[in-house]
Amino acid sequence: MTVAAGIGYALIALGPSLSLFVAVISKKPFLILTVLSSTLLWLISLIVLSGIWRAFLPLKSTTWWPFALLIISSVGFQEGLRVLFWKVYKRLEDTLDAFADRVGKPRLFLTDKMQIALAGGLGHGVAHAVFFCLSLLTPAFGPATFYVDRCPQMPFFLISAIIALAFVTIHTFSMVIAFNGYAEGNTTDQYFVPVVHLVAGMVVKSAFARCFCLLSQKFSLLRILFLIVLKNCQLSPETALVVFVWLNVLCHACSF
Amino acid sequence: MAQNQRPASILDTLGEEIVRIITPVSICMLMVVILVSILSLDDSSSSSAMPTIATIAYSETGSDSSWDKFMGALLNSLVFVAVVTAVTFILVLLFYLRCTKFLKIYLGFSAFVVLAFMGGEIALFLFEKFSFPIDCVTFLVILYNFAVVGVLAVFISKMAILVTQAYLVVIGMLVAYWFTLLPEWTTWVLLVAMALYDLAAVLLPVGPLRLLVELAISRDEDIPALVYEARPVAHHDSGSRDGVVRRRVWSERRNVLHDSGGDVNSNAILSGNAGSNLNSGVVLSVASGHNDTRLAGAEEGRVVEANAELSAPLIDRRMNDNMHRQEEDDTSENLLLEGIGLGSTGAIKLGLGDFIFYSVLVGRAAMYDFMTVYACYLAIVAGLGVTLMLLAFYQKALPALPVSIMLGAVAN
Repeated sequence: MTVAAGIGYALIALGPSLSLFVAVISKKPFLILTVLSSTLLWLISLIVLSGIWRAFLPLKSTTWWPFALLIISSVGFQEGLRVLFWKVYKRLEDTLDAFADRVGKPRLFLTDKMQIALAGGLGHGVAHAVFFCLSLLTPAFGPATFYVDRCPQMPFFLISAIIALAFVTIHTFSMVIAFNGYAEGNTTDQYFVPVVHLVAGMVVKSAFARCFCLLSQKFSLLRILFLIVLKNCQLSPETALVVFVWLNVLCHACSF
Repeated sequence: MAQNQRPASILDTLGEEIVRIITPVSICMLMVVILVSILSLDDSSSSSAMPTIATIAYSETGSDSSWDKFMGALLNSLVFVAVVTAVTFILVLLFYLRCTKFLKIYLGFSAFVVLAFMGGEIALFLFEKFSFPIDCVTFLVILYNFAVVGVLAVFISKMAILVTQAYLVVIGMLVAYWFTLLPEWTTWVLLVAMALYDLAAVLLPVGPLRLLVELAISRDEDIPALVYEARPVAHHDSGSRDGVVRRRVWSERRNVLHDSGGDVNSNAILSGNAGSNLNSGVVLSVASGHNDTRLAGAEEGRVVEANAELSAPLIDRRMNDNMHRQEEDDTSENLLLEGIGLGSTGAIKLGLGDFIFYSVLVGRAAMYDFMTVYACYLAIVAGLGVTLMLLAFYQKALPALPVSIMLGAVAN
């Protein structure tokens, strides 16, 4: 895979998150710190999970249920982490409000809270993309590329980049939805997030079974997610438009 | 956007100083990682070619057993730390004897050497790697100009701050790259040893760095030093400021982030603001430039008497230490001061040694795998954040190295 192609794959996986970062997050330093800390948290959760699962690996690839178990446990753990994140966030919100009162500035607005949630989700998403996509790319520079048997139409790296992109989006917006759900006590929202996460994980597991079908499923899922987010939040119109167009383009590209 | 019509909420500015320090550290680390991955030389060739002070006790070869390597690395690090301690004490002595001029000249000289020689060698490596056509004369002229501007940037405080910052990052990057050329075990043990040394030197009462800063406080003088100063955050209101942390805190100060009840004012521009915050707690009045200490000193004195809570707000200056040269013939060392602190304009200052050691850790991780780089980077940034928080909390001089290095080593 040439360097140019590598950069292209990296941009596929991380492009929207980069534009989100530049447009929304880089303006407010607190959000940058939130992104960094949520990335670190996700990384730690991954390390803990891998520590736990180390005893059972490597799994035989003929049966499917160990993989399912793996995915269910990881998703469960990460959702638990999300709840923990929420609790920490509540305390942080109280501290920030108290500080705002002392300083004489207005308390946190709804958009501020959503931006913090967005930053947290973005941190998770970026961590996922870096670990599951970029880690495959960097050792693979050089001539030739790699195809998987079950999906011979696209190089493996492209698939992993697209899946990473999907996960970035899922992580980012599910954090927003989850926080909103917890804040308003809206149980449908609260349960929607883990369900989507689980479904996405399962879909990836059955990856490469049917290339395009898989990817277009993924993106339809994302479109639903995104519409729900749009309904609930008030993202700036530019960001919303950009991400929506991205998703649509990819959906159509994958389902030709 | 709707937000434009609302008053600015605190989310807009909170944490700005921290980000302003994290950004250059990240840039430095990124450049070192790029350099290391482009110029990845194998260990054996570089370590045998360069007898350095850091490997004076033991040169690692590939065939030694793990235990031998470890003992050798330990020996190397002990020698290194001993030399660094000795030189720091010499610097304290010189500062005590008011040889400031000598120190400043030495600072300029060391900056020149780093930029010209180390920068030149790395540039040559890059040219070799990419077969870049350039002739001797052009190269020398460019290099000479680059080094001289760097020396001026470090020396003179009136230079555009962006240039100064950029040059400091470049110096840190160059020295860090040379450090990554050390043999593997030596590097890791050296990092841990320097972290422990930093801890000792800053926190122990007989630590040289602490002595140095105490001297500086008692005299209200500057220490000529290579420290990175983040651009100060300009606040138009003299209300409380968030997140400004003070390193070697010698005054009582309550930090707003920890709900301690007092308001912190860290308006650090001279005159007018100094006296206005007596009720609200701390004043960090610091001189605007390296040369204006006297002015601030006078005001600080006033403020000190007026308010029992305040003691002399200090201008932390740190000694400039450069790491040991890798060239055999250059026996002069400058030591880098580690530690975070408060700059002349109230911005956070981070010693260049911290930059270097963080980058060395990440650069060494880059020799293994990209993922380790990522993990180590996050660990270091987290460590830096923790150190800043601790700083705000304890308000004492704190070394910046230990937390980050420990986390980074673990993450590796």
